[in-house]
Amino acid sequence: MNNKARWFYLLPYVLWIGLFVITPILLVVYYSFFDLHGNFTLANYEKLFTFVYMKMIASSFWYAFLITAFCLIIAYPAAYFITKTKYKQLLLLLVILPSWINLLLKAYAFLGIFSTDGAANNFLEAVGIGAQQILFTDFSFVFVSVYIFIPFMLLPIFNALDKLNPALIDASRDLGASAWTTFRKVVFPLTLSGVKSGVQAVFIPALSLFMITRLIAGNRVITLGTAIEQHFLVTQDWGMGSAIAVFLIITMVVIMIVTGTRKRGVQ
Amino acid sequence: MTKEVIIRFDHVTKRYDNDAVVLDHVSFEIERGKFYTLLGPSGCGKTTILRLIAGFTEASEGDIYFNGKRMNNVPANKRQVNTVFQDYALFPHLNVYENVAFGLRIKKVKNSEIDRRVKEALRFVNLSGYEKREITEMSGGQRQRVAIARAIVNEPEVILLDEPLSALDLKLRTEMQYELRDLQKRLGITFIFVTHDQEEALAMSDEIFVLNQGKIQQSGTPTDIYDEPINRFVADFIGESNIVPGKMIRDFEVEFAGKVFECVDQGLNQNESVDIVIRPEDLEITSWNEGKIQVKVDSQLFRGVHYEMICYDEAQNEWLVHSTKKATVGEKIGLNFEPEAIHVMRLGETEEEFDKRLESYQEAGYEQ
Ligand SMILES: Nc1ncnc2c1ncn2[C@@H]1O[C@H](COP(=O)(O)OP(=O)(O)OP(=O)(O)O)[C@@H](O)[C@H]1O
Ligand SMILES: [Mg+2]
Repeated sequence: MNNKARWFYLLPYVLWIGLFVITPILLVVYYSFFDLHGNFTLANYEKLFTFVYMKMIASSFWYAFLITAFCLIIAYPAAYFITKTKYKQLLLLLVILPSWINLLLKAYAFLGIFSTDGAANNFLEAVGIGAQQILFTDFSFVFVSVYIFIPFMLLPIFNALDKLNPALIDASRDLGASAWTTFRKVVFPLTLSGVKSGVQAVFIPALSLFMITRLIAGNRVITLGTAIEQHFLVTQDWGMGSAIAVFLIITMVVIMIVTGTRKRGVQ
Repeated sequence: MTKEVIIRFDHVTKRYDNDAVVLDHVSFEIERGKFYTLLGPSGCGKTTILRLIAGFTEASEGDIYFNGKRMNNVPANKRQVNTVFQDYALFPHLNVYENVAFGLRIKKVKNSEIDRRVKEALRFVNLSGYEKREITEMSGGQRQRVAIARAIVNEPEVILLDEPLSALDLKLRTEMQYELRDLQKRLGITFIFVTHDQEEALAMSDEIFVLNQGKIQQSGTPTDIYDEPINRFVADFIGESNIVPGKMIRDFEVEFAGKVFECVDQGLNQNESVDIVIRPEDLEITSWNEGKIQVKVDSQLFRGVHYEMICYDEAQNEWLVHSTKKATVGEKIGLNFEPEAIHVMRLGETEEEFDKRLESYQEAGYEQ
């Protein structure tokens, strides 16, 4: 009886995971072993280790790193500030609100703002710097990505800071620690789990960005995401695209394990 | 002993966000090397006083002095004070050893010295061998003792203890009471101790402040406060007591329970209404005829050291009696007491007026 009931509850989960997680991964792995003509081959993986692809991988990691780093630098102090105010729920909502708007809409909005005669250039001219080429630069790519990912970094950090027992800060000050030492020795270590979740939520999707990359950076930035898109939609080399995808999946798993929160002391 | 004031509160008022006042013009002096206890019901402002001393919160009005210097704006980390928090506030990411060592590491004490002092502090709280444990692996009482060790290891001038023994069983608690008192005397540290437990307060303190609703009701040595409570609240809060309404006929004569009794109080107005306090252990049971008051035993409990009886007199006043002798429920008995056992409390008397009145008795030759 009990066992049957358990299966009943488990069924939707198992179906979902099977159809939309396991099957696609198996398919991707399967395709990655075939060349353009449908012959079994390991060449796709060999190509991954050539200079062109290595450079692409490095550049993907570099941009993902930049995006994550800027998100963290902005989101941590912002989250800290929000927890200290009276209206923290309202302020938090304001930060999260933009993430409810469709990604494509936001990207198009930035196309307008950053275009040759957009708001950003109008401002630069008014200040006296003069119009610049903003769109299709790596600056605009990182800027827009940071803007889009900030809520995902901020939320887990906010939660960790909000959960922090304020008496611990009192205790640290009581024992002679300055505000900075208290941050270093108490606040940051205790919110590290939030930082890790935030890094996961930003770094992993940032690795495989392709739509923003296409729209905002044009051909200036080539990442693994754009490469997969190219192979599937343009060159029709599904095998190579799948091999890159497999590589990305493995990377993500590794990142999850490395930044995963292991509970200390509790068996 | 020379009297050296280490902390002074001068008309300190504390208000949270314009709500009702939490502390209302509180003034007191703390002398170096003494053991003080703040005693009062939940929510009366004990923790708030400690937070003001430690510097976690600011006074709305009034001044706080430390060694004669105004301290209101000195940050917590610059004050020579360590706190044992009511909710322990141990660092969950550090083990027991590192929690205790935290303050010493901040002060950049040498590693060998840290090791020696941390181990000594842990030995003091009976936690030797627990150094490597995580905080989550400790019981409530063990955590409380880690919190005590973390404060005393720094040997500050003043230690603030917010109900530091509340989670311990009776035996460990008594043991820790002796050890804390001993440590305080040995190191000459000033202790400010918060407790709900009046027996703990009476046993440990040099001086007790009884608080109610943000005001100090009475301060004094444990015997002062126990023997001469200033008002109904203090009498009721410190130890169990019988409080009945009465009338001061003239000096040395007081009327209550429908009779006139000899007492040791004087200097009150004739026929002034007063409250009478008689401690349950000052009442002695005798036969109906020999007693000063005649009562009927309503219920009786065996309390280990004594029997506790609740009796009613003819005017339906309740009398609580602690006696080693046993009575029978429903029996009619007499209660006897000495004139010194009667404590007369004027209604609405301030602490200064009260102290003055007590002094006048001593001048008149009634040494207590
Ligand atoms: N941060 C705060 N904001 C508003 N009111 C507060 C705050 N902290 C305490 N209070 C109020 O101040 C009063 C005194 O609180 P305090 O913590 O000093 O009581 P306490 O005597 O220590 O009580 P207990 O014995 O229960 O610990 C309480 O009525 C409490 O509700
Ligand atoms: Mg308290």
